[in-house]
Amino acid sequence: MEKIIEVKNLHKSYGEVQAVKGIDFYVETGKLFAFLGPNGAGKSTTINVICTLLNYEQGEVTLDGLKLGVDDAKIRQQIGIVFQDSVLDNLLTVEENLRIRGSFYGLDSKSLEQAIEEALKVTDIYELKNRRYGQLSGGQRRRTDIARALIHRPKILFLDEPTTGLDPQTRKSVWNMIEHLYKNQGVTVFLTTHYMEEAAKADYVVVIDNGQIVAKGTPIELKDKYSTDSLQVKPINKHEVINLLKKEKLDYSEISDLLVIPLNSTIEALPILKLLDGAISAFQVLNGTMDDAFIGITGKEMRE
Amino acid sequence: MILSLVRRNIKLYFRDKASVFFSMLSVIIIIGLYVLFLGKMVQGSGDFAGEAARFLTDSWIMAGVIATATVTTTLGALGQMVDDLTKKINRDFETAPIDRWKIVISYAISSNVIGILMSSFTFVLAEVYIVAYGGEIVGFIALLQILGLIILSTITSSAFLFFFVSMLKTMNSFSIISTIVGTIIGFLMGIYVPIGALPTAIQGFIKVFPPSHMASLLRQVMVNEVVAMEYLPREVSEMLGIQFYFGDTVTSQFSSIMILVTTTLVFFGLSVLIVSKRKREA
Repeated sequence: MEKIIEVKNLHKSYGEVQAVKGIDFYVETGKLFAFLGPNGAGKSTTINVICTLLNYEQGEVTLDGLKLGVDDAKIRQQIGIVFQDSVLDNLLTVEENLRIRGSFYGLDSKSLEQAIEEALKVTDIYELKNRRYGQLSGGQRRRTDIARALIHRPKILFLDEPTTGLDPQTRKSVWNMIEHLYKNQGVTVFLTTHYMEEAAKADYVVVIDNGQIVAKGTPIELKDKYSTDSLQVKPINKHEVINLLKKEKLDYSEISDLLVIPLNSTIEALPILKLLDGAISAFQVLNGTMDDAFIGITGKEMRE
Repeated sequence: MILSLVRRNIKLYFRDKASVFFSMLSVIIIIGLYVLFLGKMVQGSGDFAGEAARFLTDSWIMAGVIATATVTTTLGALGQMVDDLTKKINRDFETAPIDRWKIVISYAISSNVIGILMSSFTFVLAEVYIVAYGGEIVGFIALLQILGLIILSTITSSAFLFFFVSMLKTMNSFSIISTIVGTIIGFLMGIYVPIGALPTAIQGFIKVFPPSHMASLLRQVMVNEVVAMEYLPREVSEMLGIQFYFGDTVTSQFSSIMILVTTTLVFFGLSVLIVSKRKREA
């Protein structure tokens, strides 16, 4: 296991306000890492610090063995960033945008042309290269943003809410492209997102709230720890089922004509189903979701 | 890197038709006013030149127009810097391995290139206008002098305006600055109202205001094509702000140039100071 990003005891404040209060985490090479948190939790601040945009007061951050604040120029050569708001020029074509931004990385003109070609192909926007960026659809723009971030073949790709504001279909196709990138190109992906179904696909998740890390683990670990599984049954006779549950001292809640019984693990559903056999007409065993886990951790809904 | 950023800024300026138009708006307004009634107002001043009166006043107004263009087009081009800041495009530059001074200098260079191109274009139109109304095209020496003055004026404007624009954080504040500059430039260069017609105190201010020397220098070259400077009556020269008089001493071309050069150096220095002090976003 190799750590490509390592953050130790990072502090950052804006005047009196402490935005990040000493956080530690690391990102493994070649993995999809999700960084979650409600709005105002210190998420953007942390990313901006790691991306060399912001200074920090205390702590130690290394990217690919390079020390942040010392080797910033070298770090910038290794990172590609897709910002939340687009940063390309509306009045220039896709190709012009890529050529200008690509020129920042010291490539000779032949390698630059090659890099542009490759970025256009990887993100599947080759046929759009002569269109003006401002005239593209939301999904096409996002692809172009990603192409720009990949132009210098960075080792780490930062994606700050890459699919926010896209319609579900476009979101899916952009997401597929991101998955393809990190699986086939060996890029480490540092992702923030509002969509829990995306976070659930990460290799590792860190949740930040109030400037502190409140949970970390794989999506499965987080789901196990912070969300509960449940059994939903549809009683034939509600009274009878409730009496049975009460006798066994089982918790339950009513949701319209259903009864919901919380479980520690899905396997616990079996004895209950045996007990209720004959008294119910339908049942469903539900796994906890990342959404539940997120609310469980922060006490807040993700989309505010 | 600098070259490709400069090319970017220039492309963006010319592709935004509205920004090109607005940076030329003051010029268009001045010409409009001149055609409508300003021309009649200053006509009397040229009477001594006889048949060349029209040529003289046309040359005079066009010199002012070109001087105005060096200021307003340069300012329009500098708007890109504020635009990049408000759209947070600067973050993309700042997370790339390029030195910050290269980003900053590229805005300055492109505003100079744009200012020189647009002012030269204005000069061509001015010549067309002058010739169309019976004047003559400028001689070769004057042409070189005018081009030299366009370059000097643009560099001065760019340094002067860069200092102010680099402190702006919103497009709104930039529009306000543009409006103010576009409005008062015609007065400060003594175009809307000939300098001699203004109260003495204001005349004094204009004479020490560096940009007015751009207009003065250009007028001297262009009017010289009509009437040699030594035959130009003092009251006409003073009235139209062709030459500035302090008491009985006339400001020489050399001292006007020195005023522009000094202004450039001072504001360039101030801008460097401001930009280098501004580190990463706090």
